Amino acid sequence: MWTHLQIELYKIFRRPRTYLAFAAITALIAVIQVGLFMDGKEYTEFVMADFEGSFSVDGKILNGYFICYVILQLLLVHVPLLIALIAADMISGEANMGTLRVLLTKPQSRTAIVLAKFLASVVYTLLLLIWIAVLGLFVSMWVFGTDDMFLMKSSYVVIVKESDVFWRYAGAFCFAALSMVTVAALGFFLSFFAENSIGPIVATMSVIIVATILSTMNIPIFNTIKPFLFTTHMITWKEFFDFKVNDANEAIIGSIQNPDKIIRSALVLVAHIIAFVGAAVLVFRKKDILS
Amino acid sequence: MQDIVKVTQLAKRFNQLTAVNDLSFTVKPGDVYGFLGQNGAGKSTTIRMLLTLITPTEGDIELFGMSLNRHRKEILQQVGAVIEKPDVYKFLSAYDNLKLFARLSGMHPSRTMLMDQLEMVGLAGRADDQVKTFSQGMKQRLGIAIALVHNPGLIVLDEPTNGLDPQGIADIRNLILFLSREKKKTIIVSSHLLNEIEQIATRMLIIDKGRKLVEGATSELLDSTQVVLQLNTANNSQALNILQGSSWADRLKPMREGQLILGLNRDEIPELNRFLVSMQVQVLLLQPRNNLEDYFLQITAGKQHVDAFTN
Repeated sequence: MWTHLQIELYKIFRRPRTYLAFAAITALIAVIQVGLFMDGKEYTEFVMADFEGSFSVDGKILNGYFICYVILQLLLVHVPLLIALIAADMISGEANMGTLRVLLTKPQSRTAIVLAKFLASVVYTLLLLIWIAVLGLFVSMWVFGTDDMFLMKSSYVVIVKESDVFWRYAGAFCFAALSMVTVAALGFFLSFFAENSIGPIVATMSVIIVATILSTMNIPIFNTIKPFLFTTHMITWKEFFDFKVNDANEAIIGSIQNPDKIIRSALVLVAHIIAFVGAAVLVFRKKDILS
Repeated sequence: MQDIVKVTQLAKRFNQLTAVNDLSFTVKPGDVYGFLGQNGAGKSTTIRMLLTLITPTEGDIELFGMSLNRHRKEILQQVGAVIEKPDVYKFLSAYDNLKLFARLSGMHPSRTMLMDQLEMVGLAGRADDQVKTFSQGMKQRLGIAIALVHNPGLIVLDEPTNGLDPQGIADIRNLILFLSREKKKTIIVSSHLLNEIEQIATRMLIIDKGRKLVEGATSELLDSTQVVLQLNTANNSQALNILQGSSWADRLKPMREGQLILGLNRDEIPELNRFLVSMQVQVLLLQPRNNLEDYFLQITAGKQHVDAFTN
C-alpha cells in the first residue's frame, strides 16, 4: 500500500489543480494580512469600541497571534471547498478519465486502493493546514510581532499570555486538521457515486452547508441531532483558547476550560471519518466498474 | 496443456437486463482469440468480468488454472489489458504513465527497460511528452505498452482499433501478430472490425445477446475454399438475367446494395469470368467479399445457437 500511496501523492501533486488551493490560501491570507497591516489600528479601535471605558490595554493587540486567530476564523469556513476539490475527485475523477478501470486491472486489492487514495487526500489536507499555519501563524508573527493574545468573545474578553499561546495554536491546528480530514472523508465517500468531479464536490459542500445550518439553528426539533452532526464539532478548535481561571479570576496557564468537549468532539469526528471511509470500502468492493 | 482461460456458465444480470447468459469458453496457450459480437452482445461485459471489473452473477472463471475469485492478485500479475479506450493520465508523460503503472504491477523497472517498451510501440521519441498532446493512435499504443510492461502471459484487448485511422489499425494488427508470434503471448481481442479479426485470430468466439453462438478454430470456421463473390458489371440487371438462366443460378445470393452476390468455390472464379465475357457482359469488378463478415452476419442473423465444434 505504501507504493500505492506514493503513486497517489505523485498524481495529486503533478496536477496543476492541486496548487490552486495553495494559491488561493496564499492570496486570502495575504489579503487579510495586508489589510490589517495597513488599516489594523482602525479595525482594532472599531472592535474595542464596545469595551471602551471598561479597561485600558497596555501592549500590542494587533500581533501575530491575534492575526492568526482572525485568519483561522475567516478561513476555516472556506477551506472545505478547497479540500473537496481534491478529495471528492479521488474516485470520480479517475472514473471520468477512464483510468479507474486501468487501475483496477492491476494486481492491487480494492481495499488497498481505497485506503491509499484516502490517505493521499489526508496528506493533501494536512499539507494545506500546515501551509495555513506557516502563512497564518509564522508569517504573521514575523510581520506583526508577538505579544499577549487579546480575544474578543461575544460577552467577554480573553487575554492569553504570550508564553501560553503557542501550544494552544498547535492544539487548534491539530483539531482543525481533524475537522478537515472529516470533510475529506465525506468528499471521498461521495466521489464513489459519480463519474465526474463536479457532482461530488457540489454534494460535499451541500452536505456541509445543510449540516452547518442545522448545527447553528436554535430550533428544538434539531437539538437531538446536533450532537451527532460533524459540523457541530468542527469549530471546537476554539476551545483551545478558553482556559480555566483561579479563585482570584486569573488565567491558569496551560489550562483548558472544557477539555471534555474537545475529546467528545474529536471522537465524533473520528467516528464520522471511520464511517465514511468504511462505507467507501464496502461500496467499492462490490462496485461494478462500467465507466 | 492447461487452458489459459476457462469460463464456465458465466452470467451477468443488471437488474432486469441479462447482459451475459450461460457463457462457456476456453482460451488455450498461444491463441489469438477473436471475440466477436454485435454492439451490446456482451463482449465488454464478459471481458470486464475476466478482469474483475464486474462481478459475475453466476458462473466460474479460471485463469492460468486458478479461480479468479480466490487468486485475483496472482492472476492479474499475469494479465495485461486495454479496455475500450486507452485512458491514461493526460497530465503525465508517456514515460511517467508507464512507470506509474509498472509500479502498480509490483515492478521497479529501470529507465532502459521502460524505454525499450516504448520503443516497441514506437513511442520512444515522445517518451517525455505529456499524453494530452498525443493522437488517439499514440494513446492506444501507450495503452498497449502499459498492458505489456509487467510481461504478462495473457493480453486482453477490448476494441483496440477503436478510433484509429487505417495506418493505426495496421500498426495494432502488426503489433498483435508480433506479440503472438515472437513473444508467444496469449491474446484475447474483441473487435467489430471483422476483417482485422480474420487476419489475426487463430480461434474465435461469436456471441449474441450474451450467449455463445459459435466457438472454434478460425481455419475451421471459415472454409477458405468457399468465397462470397461480389460482382459488378456495366448492366447488373442484364447480368442477373443471364446468370439466372444459366448453371450459375443456384450460386446466386440476394443482391446487396445493388451488387450481385454469388457463393462459390474460389477455383470457379476464372470460369465465371470467362462465362460472363462470352455472354458479352462487361465485367467491372469481381471481388471475393470478406469471408468472416458473411459468416458473422449469417450466424448472428440466424440467431441459432451452435455448439462448439472444435476444442
